[in-house]
Amino acid sequence: MTSDHDGRGIPEQRPESRREPRRTWDFFSVPAPVKRVFDCFPLLTYPPNDLPQCTWPTRRGNRLFVFSDAAGAQRGRPSFNPQCLKWQAYLKFIGIEFELVPSNNHASPSGVLPFLLPALPVGTSTPIPLNKMQKWAIEEVHCEEEQQLDLRFEVYLSLLDNRVRNAWLYHLYLNQENFDAVAQRLYVDPSTNNSTVRSILSSQLQQAARDELLKSSSYIDVGALEAEAAESFDALSTLLGDNTHFFDRPNPGLFDASVFAYTHLILDQKMGWRYNRLEKLLSRHENLIKHRERLLKFF
Amino acid sequence: MVLELHVWGPGFSLPSIDAQCLATIAYFSLLVPKGSWTLVASSDPTISPTQELPALKNGSIWVSRFRNIADYLRQYSNGEWDLDGDLTALEKADSVAFSSFVESRAQVLIDLSLYVTSGNYYNSTSPAYGSILQWPNQWVLPPQLHAAAKARTESLGLSSLDLEAVREQQKREHSTAVTAGRIPQNFIRRPRDTVSSLLGKTPQQHQFRLDALTGDLFGPLEELLGDKTHLLSERGPSSLDCLAVGYLSLALVPELPHAWLRDLMLRKAPRLSQFVERLRRELYGTVNVSDAFANGGNSPLPWRAPERARLATIGSTLLNSLADATPILKDIRMNNRLRETAESADSGLSELESRSLSAYAQAQGRDTLLSIATVVGGLTALAGYMVHVGAFSPQDVGEHKHDEHEASETTIPES
Repeated sequence: MTSDHDGRGIPEQRPESRREPRRTWDFFSVPAPVKRVFDCFPLLTYPPNDLPQCTWPTRRGNRLFVFSDAAGAQRGRPSFNPQCLKWQAYLKFIGIEFELVPSNNHASPSGVLPFLLPALPVGTSTPIPLNKMQKWAIEEVHCEEEQQLDLRFEVYLSLLDNRVRNAWLYHLYLNQENFDAVAQRLYVDPSTNNSTVRSILSSQLQQAARDELLKSSSYIDVGALEAEAAESFDALSTLLGDNTHFFDRPNPGLFDASVFAYTHLILDQKMGWRYNRLEKLLSRHENLIKHRERLLKFF
Repeated sequence: MVLELHVWGPGFSLPSIDAQCLATIAYFSLLVPKGSWTLVASSDPTISPTQELPALKNGSIWVSRFRNIADYLRQYSNGEWDLDGDLTALEKADSVAFSSFVESRAQVLIDLSLYVTSGNYYNSTSPAYGSILQWPNQWVLPPQLHAAAKARTESLGLSSLDLEAVREQQKREHSTAVTAGRIPQNFIRRPRDTVSSLLGKTPQQHQFRLDALTGDLFGPLEELLGDKTHLLSERGPSSLDCLAVGYLSLALVPELPHAWLRDLMLRKAPRLSQFVERLRRELYGTVNVSDAFANGGNSPLPWRAPERARLATIGSTLLNSLADATPILKDIRMNNRLRETAESADSGLSELESRSLSAYAQAQGRDTLLSIATVVGGLTALAGYMVHVGAFSPQDVGEHKHDEHEASETTIPES
């Protein structure tokens, strides 16, 4: 009776001790129907994906990766992202030849567009990220570093990088009408056809814009954002004056490209803005509009 | 009507611990005659409807932020109280551009110096807040401000000024090494960095980066100042001077354990440093924390003691911070706030915008409720299923006896 052998042999004599372990086992184990469902997985194992087809294998030039659509990139149209357009315009102004490749942030080694794959030296595949692009361009064509020429360069640039950019962020992402009509079409729809993923991407984009604006203030004051953008346009217009280019330079440069990146996209009818307060603010300044029209001829 | 200017309270012998507040105080003391304004160190952003300081209160009207307050003063006085009234067009443009430049660049450096550099934050900034805040705000607000400053400076990649971030990084590396199995557990020595050795090391590591950052800010300002008495013109101070003295005195004046910002400023911009020092002595004097809480006193600034917090305010602060720390409640509260802002008449939004914004907030609110309902539904379904398969039964005790009888029968086939 007391030996192990007997105990195992005649289980019905110890019903109490048999019962307890079974109850705990039940509680912690996966219920059988659920286990059966999980046993079915993976339903199907797909063969590994092919590497992405490189659509530009034969080109030998510099390749600039920007936010763009395929048709626009082929014809070298301006990108719809201000940061990308700034560098696209700058490289064009100083006379560097390049191909546009439509891309997105996930493709970039630094996580932001634009970046550039240089043609030379042959065989290299080291991309040039955003923060090294100007240095690379200067070494390429031996133009001057414009920041050094005028103390106001960096100062007025801060208007574009902060005030105009904040107004732009609100305007594009947080104004729901514009978001549905413009940002959704340009940034969200090309990435996927799945409507769930689309709605998640949209809310992530909007949240990112909101977080960015809330970094500098505790709430988003649309009136203040637009007033600051208006002030900035006033100041930029005064800085340009009657000159053809900013800082009275004979050729357009980095600062012109930075201004053009915003003025062009704000004034561009093809963007399909639904609510365009920035355009009203900008159109008070004849010289900024003319400046944009002159530079648009490069494209 | 006496204008009330509500600000963050004094710290580091300056009348406020916040740069925007300092700039606004400078603007007022240059422009508004004594007797028509009072300065209240309320140090509680919730008193203003926009949850921001500095905030100007005139009767029932609240205006916040330096730029908006300056605009309001001009309208209020029919153009009389306006520091930028006689600037030329070019000076005006410069004023706008340099203001944006100072606000963006200097704020980052102040964040780095006062908040992100751990030694400075725990030894100076946090105690300074402690002496001006009332309970329970002194436990609630400084961590929030600390986190906000860290978020603003994240992109600069200078996190090793921040001891907490350094320690987290070390812990991560440590656990990666362990999980990778490269080092046997017993051989790993805990990284034994004392606080002082870390602090001694970091400033040098980042010397180049900080050098560049400070040079970018001080260079153009030093050049703009030149030999003039004020930044823009010889004729007198402008709003840019107020902003500059507000932001830069927080770089220059505080006595900190790691005074890298002051050292760099004195070295890179000696004339600018003198200018800021002169202007801040003229405008602020030296402020003790006690000045702000005693009416009048012998301070050059028109202090008025803030009201003691009432029990209701304290309760609501506690409740708010608790609610904001609870995951789902936080979302709901945020949406409600957004809707209230959108629907309030003075939000500065056009009708269309406020309608779309409030519709958005409502939709977000519905989303949150829907997700709560989904989770609750899912949990109920799971519990129901478990009861159904008998993983646990509600009448476990009652069935016990019955089970025992059956057990003898069911266990037989197993042997």
